[in-house]
Amino acid sequence: MSSFANTVADSTAVQTLPVEDRRGIYAMWCVIATEASLFLCLFGAYFYLGNTKERWTIDRPPELHYAWMMLVVLLVSAFLLRWGEKQVNQARFSAGRLALLLTILLGLGFLALQYFDYASHLKTLTPYSDSYGSLFYAISGFHVAHIVVGILLLAYTWFLPQYGPTTLSPYRPYQTVALYWYFVNALWICIFLILYLIPNLLVYG
Amino acid sequence: MLRRVVILFALPSLTAACVFLELDRRWGTHFFSVIGGGDPVLWQQLFWFFGHPWVYVIFLPATGMISLIVPVFSRRPIVGYPYVAISTILTGLVGFSVWLHHMFTVGMSDMAMSFFSAGSMMISIFTIVQVFAWVATVWKGRPVPTAAMYYALGSIALLVIGGLSGVFTGVIPVDWQVHNTYYVVAHIHYVLIGANLFPVFAGFYYWLPKMTGRMLNETLGKWSFWVMFIGFNAGFFPMHILGLEGMPRRIYTYEAGLGFQSTNMLVTVGAFTLGVGILLSIINLLISLKSGKLAGKNPWNSDGLEWGTDSPPEPYGTVHIPTVVTRHPLWDEHDEEADPDNDRVLDQARLTLTTTWLDAEPASIATMPEETLAPLLMSVTMFAFFAAFVFHLLWLGLAAFVATFALGCYWMWPRPGKGTL
Repeated sequence: MSSFANTVADSTAVQTLPVEDRRGIYAMWCVIATEASLFLCLFGAYFYLGNTKERWTIDRPPELHYAWMMLVVLLVSAFLLRWGEKQVNQARFSAGRLALLLTILLGLGFLALQYFDYASHLKTLTPYSDSYGSLFYAISGFHVAHIVVGILLLAYTWFLPQYGPTTLSPYRPYQTVALYWYFVNALWICIFLILYLIPNLLVYG
Repeated sequence: MLRRVVILFALPSLTAACVFLELDRRWGTHFFSVIGGGDPVLWQQLFWFFGHPWVYVIFLPATGMISLIVPVFSRRPIVGYPYVAISTILTGLVGFSVWLHHMFTVGMSDMAMSFFSAGSMMISIFTIVQVFAWVATVWKGRPVPTAAMYYALGSIALLVIGGLSGVFTGVIPVDWQVHNTYYVVAHIHYVLIGANLFPVFAGFYYWLPKMTGRMLNETLGKWSFWVMFIGFNAGFFPMHILGLEGMPRRIYTYEAGLGFQSTNMLVTVGAFTLGVGILLSIINLLISLKSGKLAGKNPWNSDGLEWGTDSPPEPYGTVHIPTVVTRHPLWDEHDEEADPDNDRVLDQARLTLTTTWLDAEPASIATMPEETLAPLLMSVTMFAFFAAFVFHLLWLGLAAFVATFALGCYWMWPRPGKGTL
C-alpha cells in the first residue's frame, strides 16, 4: 500500500528534480496529430469524389517536373535540419543556426517552385473548373499554408537568443520546430504520391 | 483525457467540411455541387465523421460524473472499475467507426451498412457495462438520498431509454422507417438531456459547494429534480409516438387533422415544465450564493482528492503535493499531505510536479503558464483572419495573419519572470 509514500519519503526533496523540458514537443505531436487528421480528411474527400467520378484523375494527370524538384528541395531541407538538430544537441549552436538559415532558404525555394507549378497548371485547370480542380488546389493550398507557417516558425527560432540549457520557456524550440518541419515534409511526400505520381503512373505507367 | 484525444482526431473533419462549404458558397468552387462534379454526400461524410465522435465527446464526461457521484452516495467503491474504464475507452475508439449510421437512407453498399450497424450496436454493449456497474454499485451499497444522487439515478433511467431507442435506430430497417422523424428527435434528447444534462446537474449539486464554499438547498434541489424529470419525460417521450406516426423533424408546422395536436400539446406542456424545473435550480444557486450553509472541506464524506482542500480551494491547490496510494484517497488510512520534512513543497513560482506515466514516480518539475492576454488576442486576430476570407477582404486577412504571428512570437519569447525556477 505505501510503496509510493516510501519512495517519496526516501527520495530527496522535489525541488531538486530536473525541469520538464519536453512539453513543447508533446504539444507539437498533438498539433501534428490533428493536422494529419485534417489532411486525412482532405485525401478522403479526394478519393471519395474520385471514386464516384472516375474520369478526373485519369484524364489529366498533373505535370511532374516541378513536383519532383519540390520533393528534392524539401528532402534536402529535412536532412539539413536534422543535421542542425544534432549540432544543437551537441552544443554547436552556430552550425545549428546555419542549418536553420539554409532550411529557411530551401523553404522559400519550395514556395517559388510551387508558384511556377501553379502557374503552369492554371493554364488548363482552375479551382473553379470542377471538383477535381477544387480539391487539387485545396489540398496543395493547405500544404502551402503549412509551409508558410513552418518558415515563420523556423525564422522565429533563428532569431531566438539561445538554444542551450535554459530555465526559461520555450525549452527546446529548435527540436520542436524541426519536428513540425519534418511533418510538413512528410505531407508533401503524401501529396506528391497521391496527387501527382500515382495518377501519372495510372495513365502512362 | 480520452475526450481530448477524440477531439484531436475528429474536429479536423469539421474544419475540412466547413472550409469546403465556404469555398463553394463564397468562392465558387465545386466540392459539393453536382454540376461541377462534386457530391453533396461528401458533406455528410465529413460532417458525421466529426459529428458522431463528438457525441461521445459530450457523453463520456457525463458518464464519468455518474461514475464518480454514484459510488460516493452509495458509500462504496464502484463495482467493476476496470470494466467501466475499458468500456469508456472502447466507446471513444469504436465511436470513430459508426458515423455512417446517420446516413443509412443515403444509399450505400450492404457491406458498409452491416459494418456500421454492427459498430453502432457494439457501443450499446460498452454503455450497458457502465449502466450495470452503476446499478450494482447502488444495489451493493448503502444509498444516501441527496439531490445529486437523485439526478445521477434519474439520468441512468433516461440513458437506458435513450440507449434503447438508439439500438432501434441502429437496426437498418427500423432506421429506414423512423429516419428524419420525431423518433430521432426523441432519441437525441434522451441521450443529450437525459444522459448529459442530468449528470451535469448531478455534478452541479455535488461540486458547487466545493467551488463556491456554500451548500445548495437539498429540498429545493429534489423538487427541481422531480419537476425536471416529469417535465422532460412528458415533453420528449411522446415524440417517440409522434415519430412512429410519421411526423417529420425539421419542419416547424403540420397540417390539421393528422392527429398530432394533442400529443404535441403534451410535448409543449412538458417542455415548459422542464424549464420551470431548471429555473428552480437557478433560484437554488442564487439563494445558496447569498445565504447557503457553509460547506466545509468535505460535506458529502466523499472519497475524491479534491474534497481534502478548502471550499473554495486556494489557487495553488495544496501546500504539500499529495501522495495517493488507493483509488479512494479520502476513505483510506493514508494521509495524502503528510510531509514532515517539507520535501514536497514547490513555492518558488508557478510550478508543479510531473511523474512517470505508469508508476507515478516523481520525475520532473513543470512550469505552469503565466497570466497573459496573448492567447486571447491571438484567437481574436485568428478569427479576423478567417472572417476576412469569408468576406473577400484579403488585405485584412493578411494583416490579421501578421498580427497573429507577431502575438505568438511575443507570447512565446523567453523573458525572465515567465515561471522561472
